[in-house]
Order: sequence, then structure tokens, then C-alpha cells
Amino acid sequence: MANTIPLSPAELSYLHTSLSQTPPIRPDGRSPTQFRPLVAETDILPSANGSARICFADGTEAIVGVKAEVEKSSARPGATTDDIFKNSRDQDGDVDVDREESDKEGKGRDEWLEIAIEIPGMRDDDSLPVFLSAMLTEALLSDGGLKDRLWINSRFHWRLYIDILLLSQPRSYPLPLLSLTTHLALISTRIPALISEHDEDPLFNDDWEASTFLYPRSGELQARSKPPVTLLVVSIGEAVLFDPSRDELAVCDSAMAISVAQSAGAGLKVVALRMIDPPSRLTAGGVPQVLNSTSNPAATASLSPAEALVLREKDQGQTVWRPPRGGVRRAIISRIIKMVVENNGVGEEVIAGLAGVEA
Amino acid sequence: MAITILAPAPPPAPAHNRRVSTDDEDDLDIDDLPSGHATHSTNIITPGQTVTDDVQWMRGHGTFAEADSTAIRSTLAGTLQKTNKLLSIVPLRARYTPEIGDLVIGRIVEVQSRRWKVDVAAPLLANLLLSSINLPGGILRKRTSVDELNIRSFFGEGELLVAEVQSLFQDGSASLHTRSLKYGKLRNGYFMAVSGMGGGSGVVRAKRQIFTMQTARGGEVDVLLGVNGYIWIAKHVEEEQETVGINRLEETASAKMYSSQNDEISLETRREISKIAGCIRALVDGGVKVEEERIRWAYDANLELDETEGETEYLGGERGKAIVEIVLGGG
Amino acid sequence: MPLDTSTYSLAHLRVDGRRWNELRRVHGQISTQAAADGSSYFEMGNTKIICTIAGPQEQRRGGNSGQSHDAKVEVEIGIAGFSGVDRKRRGRNDKRIQEMQHAIASAFTHTLFTHLYPHSTITIHLHVLSQDGALLAACINAATLALIDAGIPMSDYTAACTTGSTASYASNDEAADPLLDLNSMEEQELPFLTLGTSGGDDQVSLLIMETRVQATRLEAMVSVGLDGCRQIRSLLDGIVRAHGKKVLEARVT
Repeated sequence: MANTIPLSPAELSYLHTSLSQTPPIRPDGRSPTQFRPLVAETDILPSANGSARICFADGTEAIVGVKAEVEKSSARPGATTDDIFKNSRDQDGDVDVDREESDKEGKGRDEWLEIAIEIPGMRDDDSLPVFLSAMLTEALLSDGGLKDRLWINSRFHWRLYIDILLLSQPRSYPLPLLSLTTHLALISTRIPALISEHDEDPLFNDDWEASTFLYPRSGELQARSKPPVTLLVVSIGEAVLFDPSRDELAVCDSAMAISVAQSAGAGLKVVALRMIDPPSRLTAGGVPQVLNSTSNPAATASLSPAEALVLREKDQGQTVWRPPRGGVRRAIISRIIKMVVENNGVGEEVIAGLAGVEA
Repeated sequence: MAITILAPAPPPAPAHNRRVSTDDEDDLDIDDLPSGHATHSTNIITPGQTVTDDVQWMRGHGTFAEADSTAIRSTLAGTLQKTNKLLSIVPLRARYTPEIGDLVIGRIVEVQSRRWKVDVAAPLLANLLLSSINLPGGILRKRTSVDELNIRSFFGEGELLVAEVQSLFQDGSASLHTRSLKYGKLRNGYFMAVSGMGGGSGVVRAKRQIFTMQTARGGEVDVLLGVNGYIWIAKHVEEEQETVGINRLEETASAKMYSSQNDEISLETRREISKIAGCIRALVDGGVKVEEERIRWAYDANLELDETEGETEYLGGERGKAIVEIVLGGG
Repeated sequence: MPLDTSTYSLAHLRVDGRRWNELRRVHGQISTQAAADGSSYFEMGNTKIICTIAGPQEQRRGGNSGQSHDAKVEVEIGIAGFSGVDRKRRGRNDKRIQEMQHAIASAFTHTLFTHLYPHSTITIHLHVLSQDGALLAACINAATLALIDAGIPMSDYTAACTTGSTASYASNDEAADPLLDLNSMEEQELPFLTLGTSGGDDQVSLLIMETRVQATRLEAMVSVGLDGCRQIRSLLDGIVRAHGKKVLEARVT
């Protein structure tokens, strides 16, 4: 998040004081849980299994394409012949769909999912793309349901490739944009319907209308089948803000990325929580009036460096901007988690909003 | 509602008529066009298009003539502008190009030994020389090496300032100066950037780029509109005036002009500042050029809407559109 | 499966129902991204490209030792993993991509008025969302639209298209015909070249060929290509004019 020109100490101090009030006065007047309007559409790439595009109000834009390819499974160490040739027929000889689904449990493997993020101007091994893809992968694999649905039979599986393109320059932290777009792409992803049975070479239905959604929209698994969503939350003083703009991110005391997914029962659960280094720590502190050599040259000339340091520390960031020190209090973290996870909280609103995007 | 998701704008209908009618463009009779700013023209000139063959015209910005021909051709997509015998093309959208006398707001990006490099949203960084700034206290003296060593005490990286373009270098970059009381370091306020000039919306060059608004509950607020699209909204602070004796005819500069310490700003003033910022954003989204009158109209429109529809802090979306409607309707 | 080109002579239809001299459906939009200095979206058949421009701006990191008198044009192409039928991830160091970047940069360095922006850089980012032939040509057309949107002065549109020949190298087929605008199946089987023109009167500014064809066929291919570029230029012009009209009508004095 460096490489951008920092704001001036006066601006930082103004923003910080405005945002530390109760209620916080955001530069664009939003409430703490209000998101900026965004434009979203799905199914824009006919050649991909699933795709989505989201455009934020500040002009940043991302496109995500999901492709699935059949891959031969390598043998798992420790698998017995019983596991490999287990069939899921019950006594009548019919294939029980529900049992088939539950048979898949635990058979999915993490490496069947691959996420690649492309940010213009950055190489693939720069820290930002690597960190973002690690966070998104971790969130997606957390509930295990996704990778289990990629299992076809004991010899083959689906390999899911998620390609995320950030189309604009990464001016503000792109995590929420990429996560929302990935969520939208995944809920619209379809995989061809399987015709073959058991362990024969997979054969699929050519009719795309017969394809199934990767995250099923009906049936008993529907409640548990939404991809996770990662939100960026900042805390400034006692205030907690969602969807921070670049200015707010520049003055925050702490920033965190919280990933939530639907849990087995009703409601959401937190699947990942990561702290992000706020750019405010990289700023230089302002010079208080008493130490400003241009305003009182006579007084400051006689100060020794030690005295100047004492004066600055005593000031404690009251008069001028001082980069934040220390971590974030646990009470604030638990408040954030509660705001996201509670009924009709921010998490549910975001997921419901995305579900309403028609293709 | 916490999150608003909009549907994307539908793509423009494909042109059924693939053949571009060139009849009217070929007979472009320039003499008939009104001179001065062609603001009402709907004739688009595209790059490579021959504007005229007539030798009486001189080439201005946005045109070129090939070596072996007298035809003047356009290099940009935009509208034609005639000033006396000079033809130039005003682009639909372009980066800000500095002109002498512009009032701009800039951010320091680099500190060199005797000058600063300032970002003014132009293709090249502008220069601010150490000799072009006012020393605090109104002192007039030659800049010494001590000043050079203390250069960061005046302006450090990332600091905002308002300045005027003094001159242009050969390569088109600007040289700034702050030799007036109204220029200098900015504090007590909020910065925002709108898209550059020459486009559909942006800041216009007007007589008054700096003005003070009387807000409903927050006291007085200064608004500085930089021609380069950078805007500063701050609390108005009265400078203490030192008595000017007859012997000191030069302007006195306050001793605190290079301080980064904000003054005390009340909550109401902060809310008013963010309301004005919201009005400006609404104007930009609605495609209206940003200038003093329009901002005042928009602010008053917002107050009216507060009374009729109830107060809201967030001025985007619905409220923004309503504000733009009222402003376009005539304030 | 290999393309059956025996039916590809002048009178017959190609795999997608076109004749030998028909372009695919071309669609373009300009100014698609508010945050960029210039942007465009261009489709040529199923090849879809998004282009964004950053600049002209001064490069702050790694300043050049000498002051250059012209702006530098830099091109970055990112081919998305989902762009082809099979998912394939291409690194930035891919030689083909580097060659395309260099070709596009040098083509535009000649048409853009770079002397107006000394020691600054114009960066062209191209994102390939879907490719079905004519990749380099579509990139050039998308970049032209985006540069016009950014207000960077240029001497003329740079329009590009592909042409090919129905005869493969070895066959001595006298009845080989030129083809316009090949899709990816045809590009894999038949020789083809990418042609870019700028400045009217059929001035060629770019010609890239990676396959082999007999020299006698070249003239026919190029003349078909010039006609195709003329069509593309007028299509690009139409897109710019339509957008300009929309902007001016929405503009308020």
C-alpha cells in the first residue's frame, strides 16, 4: 500500500478528528455501515463457467472468471482399496443422490482450487497479489463444502481456476472489491451435469441448460452453500467504519479483513480474520507549533534534541497528527465481529444484495 | 440500506448504419462558425480529419499540418474553436495543461536541494523554487544555505499548497509561486479531486477561484477551486493583521503560515465541510461544471431539500440527483 | 479438429458463415472506466479487449539518467487465464507477449505526438478477456480508442486487422484466395498476417507475420488487408463520433 503520495499532516489530523467523533463524520457523509453504490453484473463471459464484474463508485473495477477443467486424481496416500471402489448404491440398486453428495464429504483436496490475481503494474510475485490470493483461497477453502463438490469420482475431479483481474490502478486496498466480485462469480458458476456413473471416465451432458450450479440453489444443501465474503473494516478511535475510502484508510488506527460465510445452521460465521498494516503508520508526524522552526525560530534554536523529543511526546498527537501506535483493543474486534455476523447485520445485507444481482 | 447495488448501464445500441455520413463534414465551412469558445457546437472533429485547406488559417493547439501539404488536420477528438485567425481543437477530455496565471492546488511529491516538485495533475510535475515562496514574518532576504538545509520545515512531502503558475518551461511544465498572502500551505480542511479540465465536467477558470461561504450552522467555510481539478474546503480563519507601517509596504505574512497544526474546528463546521464536498461531488456526477455560483446553488438546494425531505448526511445517489436537477433548473 | 479448407474458395462460405472478405462483428465503447485517463472496450467477433491508459505522467521511480525529448510509450498486455477455451496462465515474461508489447509500442510511438510531453510516460494496459483470433489487431484498435479518449494527440487512427490465405505453404495451389479477419481455428491452420494502417491513403504502419506463405500470395493478402483496415477505421471513427455527440449533448454550459 506504499508507493502512493501521503497526505499532509494537517489533512490527516483533520480526518482523524472528524472520524473519531461519535457518530463519526465521514468525508462523504455516509453512516458507518453504509457502502458506496456499486455496479454489478454476472455472466459477462460466455466462454467461462462463471463470471462477474463489479465497478465501485470511485471508478475501480474488477472482473472475475471461473473455469473448471476435469483432471485426473492422483492416488491419496493411505487410501485403501475399499475406499477407492466404494459404490454408493443402496439395496435397490438405485443411486441415492443425497448419499452421493454426502459420500463426497471429506474427499475434496485443497489443491483443486487455484486462484490467480492480476493487478496492472505489479508482478505476480509482488506482495500484494500474493497476500490477496492467500486470503481469498483461505476463505474459500474454509468450509470444505466447495472442494468436496469438485469430486467427480475416485479417479477424476474438477479443478477450479479463479482468475481475478483488477482493471484499474490499485489506489485503495482492493480486497473488498475482489472478494465481492469473486463471490458474485462463484454463485453464478455452473458445471456440466454428470452422465457417467461411478468410476468410469467422466461423461457430461452437452446441454448447458442441464448444468448444475456449483453452489446449489435448491435442495437441502442450499442453506450451506454460499461462498464467503471478505469485508474491509477500519477502526479509528472508538469508531468502526465499513467500506473505507482511501482517505479513511490513510488515517485509521487499524484495518482488518474479515471473511464470513454461511454456517450450517442459520446465520453467518467468521471464517478468517486478518489484520492489515494500515498506511497511517508509514506517515510522518506533523510538527507542533512549539517546535516549528519557521514560526518561532528563537525558541526552537535553543532546544536540544532531547528536549524537542520530550515536547513532542507530551503533545501525544493532540495538536498535530501522530502516526498510530500499538494494536487494536479486543473490545473493538469483538464489536466488529458482532456487527458483521449478527442477524440483519452488515454481512447478511451484503450477501443478500449480491444474491439479488440478476444475470 | 447499507449496500446499494446498481445494474450496469446498457451498452449503446449498435449503429445500424455502418457507413458514416461524411457529407456535412466535407463541406465544413469554418467561416460560418461563431468565433470564440465553441461551447454550443455539436460538430465532432476526430483525429486525422482535415479541418480545412485554406491557407488563411493558423494552426493552434490540437492541429497539425503535414510537411508537404497546407491542409490543417486535427490530432484530437473534440470541437473546433476559432479565435480570430487561429484554429484550435478543444478535446473532449484531456489532462490539465498549465497556463500562466492559473490558480492551482498541488501536493509536494519530491524535495530537492533548492526547490520542490509538485503534483498538479498535469503531464509533468510542476516546480516550486525556494525563492518563490514567502518567508514567514514577511522578511525579505536572500535565501541562504541554512534555508536550504531547513527546506523541509517549509514544505515536506505530501503537503498541500495553493499557488499560481508563474511561468512555463520549455517542456511545458509549470513553475509556481506563492508570493501572495492568499497562497501558501493549506490546513484546517478537506481535500478532494475531480476529473481534469477539458472534459465534460471539471473546474472552470473563473474570476474568483477562492471564495467564502456562509453555512447554515457551521460558520464560514473557505472553498478553493484549483483549475487543475483539485479542490480544498476549509474552515475560514481570520489572520491577525499586524499593523502595516508606512515603512513596511510589503505584505506581511503571518508567522504561522508554515505550521501543520490545525486550529480548533467544531463538529458543525466539519459536517458543513463534508456537505459542501458532497454537493461538489453531486455536481460532478451530474456533469455540471464546478464553479462558485453553482456550488452556492447546490448548497442552497440541499438546504431546501433538507427542509422538505428530511435531513440526510449522505449526498450521493438520490439526493445528489435532486440537487443537480434544481441547479440545472435555475437555482 | 483440422479445418476443412477445401470449400474455402472465393464463392463459398467459411466455418462461421462469412465470405472471404467479410469482417466479423465489431463493437466498441469508449470511456468505460472513470478512474483511468483513457479507457475503451473493443470486441472483434469473440475477441474482447479492455484497454486503459495511464498518463502522460512523469515517472517517479527510476528516473532516466538523460532527459528525453519525447514521451515514452509503454505497453502491458495481460491475457486472462479464462480467455481461451482451455484455461492457461501466461506469465509476463512470455516471449510472444513481449513481442506484441513491443510491436504495439513502436506502432504508436510513430503516430502519437510524443514530443509534446517530454520525459513523461504513457502507459497502455491491455486486458484480454477472450481471444478468438486477431489478438494483436484487436489490441491495436482498442488502444487507439483509449488514446483518443485520453486526449493524447495523434496524427491519425491506427486501424488493424488480419488477413490470411487459403493455401498452406507447401501446396502449390494456384487457386489460393486471400481471407479477411481470421478466427482462431483458421489462424491455427492457415498462414495469416496482422496489418495496421495509419494516416489514410493506405499507409502501412505495422505488418507482422509469424507463419509462412509463398511470396506471390502476399500482394493479394495485403490489398485485402488494406481494404479491411479502411473499414475498421471508419468503424472506429463512428464509435468516437457517437460518443462525442453523447458527451456534448449531455454537457451543460
